[in-house]
Amino acid sequence: MDTSALATAGGPGTGLPGDGQEAAARGRRRALDPAVVVALVLSVAFVLIAIVWPVLAVIGAALTDGAIPIFQRYLSPPQNQILVNTVVLGVVVATVGTAIAFLFAFVQVRVPANRWLKRVLHVIALLPIVSPPFALAIAAISLFGRSGMITRDLLGMRVDIYGLPGLTLVMSLSFFPVAYVSLMGLMRALDPALDEAAANLGSSKLRIFRTVTVPLLLPGLASGFLLLFVEALADLGNPLVLGGNFTVLSSRLYIAIIGQYDMLTGSVLAVLLLVPSLIVYFVHRYYAERASVVSVTGKPTGRPSEVSGRPARAMLLGAACLVAGLIVLLYGTIVVGSFTKLLGVDHTLTLRNYEAVLFGYGTKAVTDTTLLAGLATPLAGLLGVVIAFLVIRGRFPGRGALDFGTMLGVAVPGTIFGIGYLLVFNVPVQIAGFTIIPKLTGGAALLGGALAILLVYILRSAPGGLRAGAASLQQIDPSIEEASISLGADQATTFRKVVLPLIRPAFLSGLIYSFARSMTAISAVIFLTTPQIRIMTQQILNETDAARYGNAYAYCVILILIVLAAIGILSVLVGSSTRAERTSGVNVGASR
Amino acid sequence: MTRRGSAAGSIVLAGVLASTLAGGAAAQDGAETPTSLTVLCTPQEDWCQAMVAAFGAQTGIPTSYVRLSSGEALARIRASAAAPEFSVWWGGPADGFVAANAEGLLEAYASPEAAVVADTQKDPDGVWTGVYVGALGLCSNASVLQELGVETPDSWDDLLDPRLQGQVAMAHPASSGTAYTALYTQVLRLGGEDAAIDFMKQLHNNILQYTKSGSAPAQMAGRGEVAVSVVFSHDCVKNFDEGFTDLVVSFPAEGTGYEIGGVALIKDAPEAEAARMWIDWSLTAAAQEIGQTVGSYQLPTNPNAAVSERSVNLADVNLVEYDFQAAGEARAALTQRFEDEVAAQPVE
Amino acid sequence: MSAGTLRLERVTKVFQTPEGRDVVAVDDVTLELPPGSFVTLLGPSGCGKTTTLRMIAGFETPTRGRILLDERDIARLTPDKRGMGMVFQSYALFPHLSVFENVAYGVRLRGVRGRDLDQRVEAALALVNLHGLARRRPSELSGGQQQRVALARAMAIEPRVLLFDEPLSNLDAKLRVSLRSEIRRIQQQLGTTSVYVTHDQSEAMALSDIVVVMNAGRVEQAGSPSEVYRRPRSRFVADFIGSADFLDGPVLGVTPEGLDVSLFGVTVRVAAGDGHRVGDAATVVVRPESVRVGDGPIRALVRGSTFLGSLVEYELMVGDQVFGALDPDWMSRGLHVPGEEVPVSLIGSKLYALPPDVRSDTAAHASDTTEVAAD
Repeated sequence: MDTSALATAGGPGTGLPGDGQEAAARGRRRALDPAVVVALVLSVAFVLIAIVWPVLAVIGAALTDGAIPIFQRYLSPPQNQILVNTVVLGVVVATVGTAIAFLFAFVQVRVPANRWLKRVLHVIALLPIVSPPFALAIAAISLFGRSGMITRDLLGMRVDIYGLPGLTLVMSLSFFPVAYVSLMGLMRALDPALDEAAANLGSSKLRIFRTVTVPLLLPGLASGFLLLFVEALADLGNPLVLGGNFTVLSSRLYIAIIGQYDMLTGSVLAVLLLVPSLIVYFVHRYYAERASVVSVTGKPTGRPSEVSGRPARAMLLGAACLVAGLIVLLYGTIVVGSFTKLLGVDHTLTLRNYEAVLFGYGTKAVTDTTLLAGLATPLAGLLGVVIAFLVIRGRFPGRGALDFGTMLGVAVPGTIFGIGYLLVFNVPVQIAGFTIIPKLTGGAALLGGALAILLVYILRSAPGGLRAGAASLQQIDPSIEEASISLGADQATTFRKVVLPLIRPAFLSGLIYSFARSMTAISAVIFLTTPQIRIMTQQILNETDAARYGNAYAYCVILILIVLAAIGILSVLVGSSTRAERTSGVNVGASR
Repeated sequence: MTRRGSAAGSIVLAGVLASTLAGGAAAQDGAETPTSLTVLCTPQEDWCQAMVAAFGAQTGIPTSYVRLSSGEALARIRASAAAPEFSVWWGGPADGFVAANAEGLLEAYASPEAAVVADTQKDPDGVWTGVYVGALGLCSNASVLQELGVETPDSWDDLLDPRLQGQVAMAHPASSGTAYTALYTQVLRLGGEDAAIDFMKQLHNNILQYTKSGSAPAQMAGRGEVAVSVVFSHDCVKNFDEGFTDLVVSFPAEGTGYEIGGVALIKDAPEAEAARMWIDWSLTAAAQEIGQTVGSYQLPTNPNAAVSERSVNLADVNLVEYDFQAAGEARAALTQRFEDEVAAQPVE
Repeated sequence: MSAGTLRLERVTKVFQTPEGRDVVAVDDVTLELPPGSFVTLLGPSGCGKTTTLRMIAGFETPTRGRILLDERDIARLTPDKRGMGMVFQSYALFPHLSVFENVAYGVRLRGVRGRDLDQRVEAALALVNLHGLARRRPSELSGGQQQRVALARAMAIEPRVLLFDEPLSNLDAKLRVSLRSEIRRIQQQLGTTSVYVTHDQSEAMALSDIVVVMNAGRVEQAGSPSEVYRRPRSRFVADFIGSADFLDGPVLGVTPEGLDVSLFGVTVRVAAGDGHRVGDAATVVVRPESVRVGDGPIRALVRGSTFLGSLVEYELMVGDQVFGALDPDWMSRGLHVPGEEVPVSLIGSKLYALPPDVRSDTAAHASDTTEVAAD
């Protein structure tokens, strides 16, 4: 790509007044490529207005004098318990989730087993990605609650699932897939010769695992742990459904805004949530970037050494199957529950739940959510890839800032964007009496408040596209783009004809990720739904709270089906899914 | 990305959004027949649905609703005060309406239909008018109680039984009008906020979860998640009808609170005309009989409306002298105290 | 350290493809490696040389056959118990450990601690001329330096056998040449039995005591570099090592000094193995240096010429036979241009007639085992 175009973005940079073709070409190289300028301006504007401003607004609101007593209240007993709970939940979920992710990745890469069994385990492990984050919580109550079908009816126990134990169970299972995919990618990239070298030097299998495999995966494990920590911190759905009296920052913040419309308390809690999230997220990025285990010269040889001991194999496979069985059981409960009158009480089969969701009061939520997520997906995908292109290939000051700003979209918990949007966009933004941005939030806003939700969908998904795009751009020799430009193509054409096709798998995985993310998002949009715009995840939460589990299950099933259908359609539209799978290991992560 | 492409994209985007999401956003003025109405509905979803459908069918006004718990509804009206999203608020304990009015969020409307409603069940200035009445009760799961060896509770103090640890559910007073009614009932019963908070602190040890919506605890009891839930008795009956046949209702002997579900016009309502029509209609006997058809057995405020035999007979229940005005005014401070001194405390 | 004697007896490795088909990667290979010898497994990719090496190292288990180290069958021994040092194609340096720790890794596992450990590591690093880099991380080294660390790490455990899996293939040409002579120097200094896998015939020539040419899982020929070059057992070997053209001609006479073969109507006495009979057709290996350009009884058409400085390389044609020739003496005779006819002769003492049974170029070879004789 023409790096000089961006380097000289400050001046007109006319080329040499030449008469030959060469001079003309050089002139074009030096001049600003309009497409690049437009892309840059649009990207920067989006990042500043849709991402940075709302976050700053929340911080600003929490830095007023009136906020000091509120800070004091939440930083001293008894209210500091909420902060403690939040951190404890984060650490526990991250530990358990990373362990599960490691187990699944290890089984995939290092444990010899039937190909189909592994395939099935893989698909099961990915299931939570395409389902609403708290779907498992609902199913867990039905199965393992105090009157759970398994704990009570089968085992005759009275288990207290509300609070930390239940949250740990469902959040670990909901969030581990992202860590699993990236750990598996790392393990596959690990040069098998490293294990062989250690064995050749006299190391036993267990010792190799301890002195080579684990240390090499340590940055990856750390990055997975921190990512899950941030996810757990930011999660709102599960604490609301299954929190019991175990209050965490996000659920307290929700009560402050939704129950009391107390923006000041909301902002203070948001800042308390923001600080650890941001720190941990960017420490995670630091480790994620160091988690490259590609050997010094590449070109790995040999095959990954596999676990050969029978007992070890049986134990690892057994453990993975157990967890997978639990996931299947929980999702099975959702499916069965969606066709049942009152799961656990009245097991009459019925289609009433689907009737309510598809043809009753749920219709609008289904269409609105699908439409908005469908609109956000290509926009977020394109934005992510364009920013990736600017950040990787550009040579302008502030590239790092653009990257950072975009990544805030996932690093900052969604609840904070919810509050930020209410703070910034609840009234028209005016400069000198002119309305620059109309009111975006609330039912009376433009398009019934749909724009705010759309923006949030985009900003939450674009970072995925950015990371996937950046990772695959780094693999592509810039001279390929230079060749295109030397043949007379401008930047826009080069991007469209050369760059996009080359990074198509990453683009596709970005799109899939973006759609799944938008469909399952709740923590930000829950603050932004309006009478005109219904969002499925919020409806599920309402149904759950009102204990109409049948409807909640039906919503979950439909949501999962929509996401799966979209993945199928996108794969056909954009390219083969197998190639996308390979790049989907790019670590993007963070909360919904 | 080309400029042309993105411009075309945004046009398509705006078009699609506008055509598909057009619900009832446009403001309605003047004497024309109203073309839309958005109701902020606080009772249970299926009642909201039945009401909206009936009103729409009768008036021809396309009507939509959003169901929010009382506290959420109040927060939402407050949040969108500059450009209201809703025109009318229907349902939920009257103290929520009092609190909203104290913040200037409501507009008085003395409906001609309100004449039949008893004076104790409406605001003298017409800020809110009662549409239903319900009494707070204890909704218990008989088989869980039996298992625990606990008698069906019939007093507030019964709830403090140590054997009921983690076996009681109620909603969060910040989000739920039901729970706030329960909280304020303690103030009235025990003679002061301090005593009420003290009682809630003791009760806290037995609480499993403070839910968001007021009726949810009844379902938890129905499923056996808890033994006892503090809800309006009609919510308990509703759940019994839906298949939770282990549920039994009892009323605290010391006296229990009750709610008058209100209806009110929201200030600067975008669809004020239609909203007034809704208020008038919701006070008619016919409208007040809709609840029974979907299992909501709140007592109607219109004396001409038929009362279901499954509704509570208030004469059989010892009611506290509930002061909606005072309750509404105390709401903000009291829920904050509850949050700080009760909900945030660890369970002992 | 003592050098080991390594013997492979009828070793076969069958892999299963994911579709369930059997693929014979190594087919009935028998080899004997005397102590201290440097043996190269040479062949095109997919010939089974790497699989053979990995079976010696213990990363693959032979389907059939025995691998003996000093008369002890090690075929079922796990890699960590074999005491062989291996240098990997990708070097396989532990990226999370320093150079020192990489080299110390195996030594420590042998219970060496403290000063002894330091000395062993220092000695290994000194042997590969890596002074003062012990604290570096592998990623901070150049490719050549990484290769030396890998070598030092393998040698530091004082292995009975050193194994090399195409260790120089990731380096540039110049570095390859200098490192290979260093590997040879170190190996001779230590006297460790070494097995070296490569597909580069000049590397094999330069390094080895014994070259084992492999093709399609089988050993085509094993012998000293000069023998393999001078007396290839098959067309494949002749073609793979150095450049060669093949001329067919009838055998007119068999003498102790060689065969009399008629080539282009001229009778030439060529070196040959046993088994030829008068009247048979013989395939004669013609290497470019065995053709003399500028005088002789054969008239050849110059089809192309490449000027290489000290030499000129010609592509010649007689009849429909095309063969290459080198002219080291062009300065005295002048250059020939394409289209020109030149007189050439074949230098009988530099020609070699392939053994009759392996003359054809089909994959089916008669020999099933090949013994390697010590040099």
